[in-house]
Amino acid sequence: MADTPSLTSSLHPLEIKVLTALHQHRLSSLSSSSQALQEEQIAQSASLEPSQLSMAVEWLLTKSLIRVESEKVTPVVSLTKVGERYFEKYSPLERILSVTRDAKQTSRRLTIQDIQASEGLEPTEMSGAIGCLKKEGAIRIVQGGYVEATGSPSPTAESLRALLRDLRGSSRELDSFPEALRRVIEQYAVRRGNAQEPFRIDARIERRYLLTPQGEEAVQALAQQGPADEVSQLTPELLKDGTWRTKRFRKYTISLRPPRLAAGKRHPYREFLDQVKRKLVSMGFQEMRGPLIETEFWNMDALYMPQFHPARAIHDVYFVKEPTHARSIDEPFLTRVAATHRNGGRTGSTGWGYHYDQTRARRLVLRSQGTAVSARRLAAGPQVPGKYFSIARCFRYDQVDATHATDFFQIEGIVLGPDITFRTLLGLLDLFAREMAQAKESRFLPAYFPFTEPSVELHVRHPRLGWIELGGAGLFRPEVTSPLGVDVPVIAWGLGLDRMAMVALDIHDIRDLFSTDLEMIRTTRSHF
Amino acid sequence: MPTVSINRKDFEELVGQPVPDDQLAAWLPLVKGELKEQDSKTGNLRIELQDSNRPDLWSCEGIARQIRIKLAGAPSPYPFFKSMKRPTHRLLVSAGLEHVRPYVAACTAVGYAVTDEGLTQLIQVQEKLSDVFGRKRHTVSIGLYRLPQIVFPVHYGLVKPDEVRFTPLGFDEALSLREILALHPKGVEYGSILAGHELVPLLRDEAGHVLSLPPIINSREVGEVRVGDRELFVEVTGTDLRMVVLTLNILAVNLADRGAAIKPVEVSYPSPTPLGKAVQTPLDFGKPQSILIETIETALGQPLGAKQMQAVLRAYGYEAKAAHNKVSIKLPPYRHDLMHAVDVAEDVAISLGYDRFTPEMPTQFTVGSLSRLEEISDRIRDLMVGFGFQEIISNILASRLELVERMRLGGSEWDRLVEVQNVMSKSYACLRQWITPSLLRVEAASSRSFYPHRLFEVGEVAVPDPTDEMGSRTLTVLGALIAHAGANFSEVHSCLDLLLFYLNQPYTLEVMSHPSFLEGRAGRIVSEGRTLGLIGELHPETLEHWQVSMPAVAFELEIDALLREG
Repeated sequence: MADTPSLTSSLHPLEIKVLTALHQHRLSSLSSSSQALQEEQIAQSASLEPSQLSMAVEWLLTKSLIRVESEKVTPVVSLTKVGERYFEKYSPLERILSVTRDAKQTSRRLTIQDIQASEGLEPTEMSGAIGCLKKEGAIRIVQGGYVEATGSPSPTAESLRALLRDLRGSSRELDSFPEALRRVIEQYAVRRGNAQEPFRIDARIERRYLLTPQGEEAVQALAQQGPADEVSQLTPELLKDGTWRTKRFRKYTISLRPPRLAAGKRHPYREFLDQVKRKLVSMGFQEMRGPLIETEFWNMDALYMPQFHPARAIHDVYFVKEPTHARSIDEPFLTRVAATHRNGGRTGSTGWGYHYDQTRARRLVLRSQGTAVSARRLAAGPQVPGKYFSIARCFRYDQVDATHATDFFQIEGIVLGPDITFRTLLGLLDLFAREMAQAKESRFLPAYFPFTEPSVELHVRHPRLGWIELGGAGLFRPEVTSPLGVDVPVIAWGLGLDRMAMVALDIHDIRDLFSTDLEMIRTTRSHF
Repeated sequence: MPTVSINRKDFEELVGQPVPDDQLAAWLPLVKGELKEQDSKTGNLRIELQDSNRPDLWSCEGIARQIRIKLAGAPSPYPFFKSMKRPTHRLLVSAGLEHVRPYVAACTAVGYAVTDEGLTQLIQVQEKLSDVFGRKRHTVSIGLYRLPQIVFPVHYGLVKPDEVRFTPLGFDEALSLREILALHPKGVEYGSILAGHELVPLLRDEAGHVLSLPPIINSREVGEVRVGDRELFVEVTGTDLRMVVLTLNILAVNLADRGAAIKPVEVSYPSPTPLGKAVQTPLDFGKPQSILIETIETALGQPLGAKQMQAVLRAYGYEAKAAHNKVSIKLPPYRHDLMHAVDVAEDVAISLGYDRFTPEMPTQFTVGSLSRLEEISDRIRDLMVGFGFQEIISNILASRLELVERMRLGGSEWDRLVEVQNVMSKSYACLRQWITPSLLRVEAASSRSFYPHRLFEVGEVAVPDPTDEMGSRTLTVLGALIAHAGANFSEVHSCLDLLLFYLNQPYTLEVMSHPSFLEGRAGRIVSEGRTLGLIGELHPETLEHWQVSMPAVAFELEIDALLREG
């Protein structure tokens, strides 16, 4: 048990009000049986809002300063939405009765289907109501399936009307109704499996509360302290005039959960990308950027992907609707690349040996690979030696699902210099394995990219994921570098980090990297 | 990148020795193969082959061959490529085909009784070669026939679609060629290749029996190869002579690897082709070439020497002879993928094994840096986070509904988008031209997250610009949005004001009418006559369109414009 002095000094003003109300009621009541109070009574004598009261009661119960003396459950009836509709537009029972009576007067004959259609009733409503009216003798079914009013009244229909009128806008205790009406209410009350009923029966719980012996002690302790000089908040005024010296500060229950903070925060995936960016800069890479909308020339031709390459088909790349083509491609690059595709040009290659379509080269697409940015950089006269990277948004014509995104980031770059060889390519990949994935083991496998030769896939043993493919790289083919005016070997590399990002952010669907769910963004933590 | 299914037992027979799992893993890099699936019960393996320029590897025979060569340390001899005798079987090409489907190559394969697995592989390689390498039969298609039923010479000619009838594979009765193109599943699938031609190609034998309607379908009588058949006729037709011959070469070595004796066929054209008027196929049309050993050593960064170079190349299937500083090489006849010396360098590295190269760090010094745009973007992101904003990242692709219609911009001066022509989904049909819709998309999905909401994104947008060479410009833009019960202009204005203060950017607001915002509560952010962005209280109808039930205010700032000199 908590010791009373420290407990009383941490009591909230609301709690003190409730304790006091219960205490005063006990003093004023003579018999011990009525020392407890209902919530409503407490609220009244302590002048508290219902929400304040329930908070204070909850806290006091937790601290065992009050207890529930008795609990009374009272069934209470009220109208549902269906009930309100029945009141306005009449219940199926009443409506069937009314149309059959009308029909009888005008000598029309109605089948069940006629009624159902004309009144717009559900089959279930219909069968229940017909059954009840037949049982009560208010209607009968004659040969041919026609429904006829007998002229006798329906007690159920009349009870329903009376109840709908009584309960409209207010609720009443079930026991206040006579037996016959109670049966009707129970028959037409919502229950599991049938929500389409006019009445609802709720249990109203009334509790009576009583001070516990500890509660009594707390009240006594409070009385001795005298509540007058206790404050909860230190104010500038108290500081200015020094009166804080005469005050006692209420102690807080510091184990309660604090309210949530609406804080400013970086996006978790962006934090991951920022870290990648910082690492690359620290390794001596310069950032490069390029446009979202590219020509096929820079997106593919300059990378020695022939115009008939399967990955250039309509099913892989998004084409721009308007304008369809760029006005021109910078020279001398267009002429040189065209010659290279045709017969190798001056690159020492045989070329692809096909008719290169210069119009196709100007076709506008959404950038489908970050390597397009590298191609532009090579053409723009890079530094030699030089290292470059880009984190480029790319687009693929893909059905979006948990593992395919339609736009995504590619982390790519180039390294160029006279000392670049296949072995320095492997050295760079080793560095990436250590720096990007904290991997101590890595493995190189032969790979294929249209623009590099030799090509390598980098597999690493990730401390948490096991063996994963971290990226692909290679030495740009001379068919790529030479037409763009670069005469030293160039490493082209790309890192596939989304899987690592997803693990670091503990998400399982690639679409969640660009989530629109603020709650998720606010609560996602990164582990990297 | 084709994926092929092979059976381990069949594969081991072709390799000539058992292949346990670890050995398979060690050998797959030789073919740039990746094991995708394996079923230990049936012994079936699915292997993805990465190199789209190596169609010779897209079969069980091809993968096994590369490994066999490695084990032998020397290329496999296929003597039928060097046959000097004039072939007994001939195939005659009629005039006119040069405008439809000009080229054909053929051979016979005798003495190998087709097995179950052999037939499966034959069908698979036929599919992969004609689909992937042959671009869905456009450039290359393949036919296999039962040799005993064919009377030579075979004729490759043109006919009217109504003139000839035959029973295609999968059908019980004879159809006219026109009916086959219209009704047969393969006619429906590949008929477009022949569209626009009044005459269509046909292969018939001397007795007038139809072999096939290339590239659509074989005749059922002659062109249905079954398990147990011992004598086959193989033909390839297409539009690229070298690809056609190469495809036949691959099929011929595959059948030879299974024990068939290959006999060439002489194809006679009415006029000369790049390979002559009469072409004996299969044909090794590769030419030997000489490469400086130093070129390869420099690319790889590793000295190898003439002797090792020769051995390594031969162990990968090349004919190679090194002398002094040069190596004379020739690719095997089933390969035609050598465009540059770097291709040889890669084959040398693969043949040796990538693990035989010691990685070496690039040593030259470079200075790392971010672009100016990224630097200022990062500063802005820091400031926004400090102002209490949560960062968002969104898809750049969006719908017209989101970017224009919900923003009440239809028909206005802001109704200009870069749109995608081949739309897959309406939700991803346009590039966003501003950020606010991306933030509203988050707002609309997040009413259950506690308020206030302060969101921002620094991201790229695409703005149509007829004066630009490419018709559009990519801009980096900051978008910010505040939503809560009391959100108002002055709150968001305070954020903008402080941000521009720290960025050292003087500005004024000019009143602007913008349909997304409330009239009189929207402005253009201007500095020395340049527009930097906009700010305003979102119009209640905009919010209604997004089903957002909180007041929201927003601003956008074009970061590129901050960098531009005034």
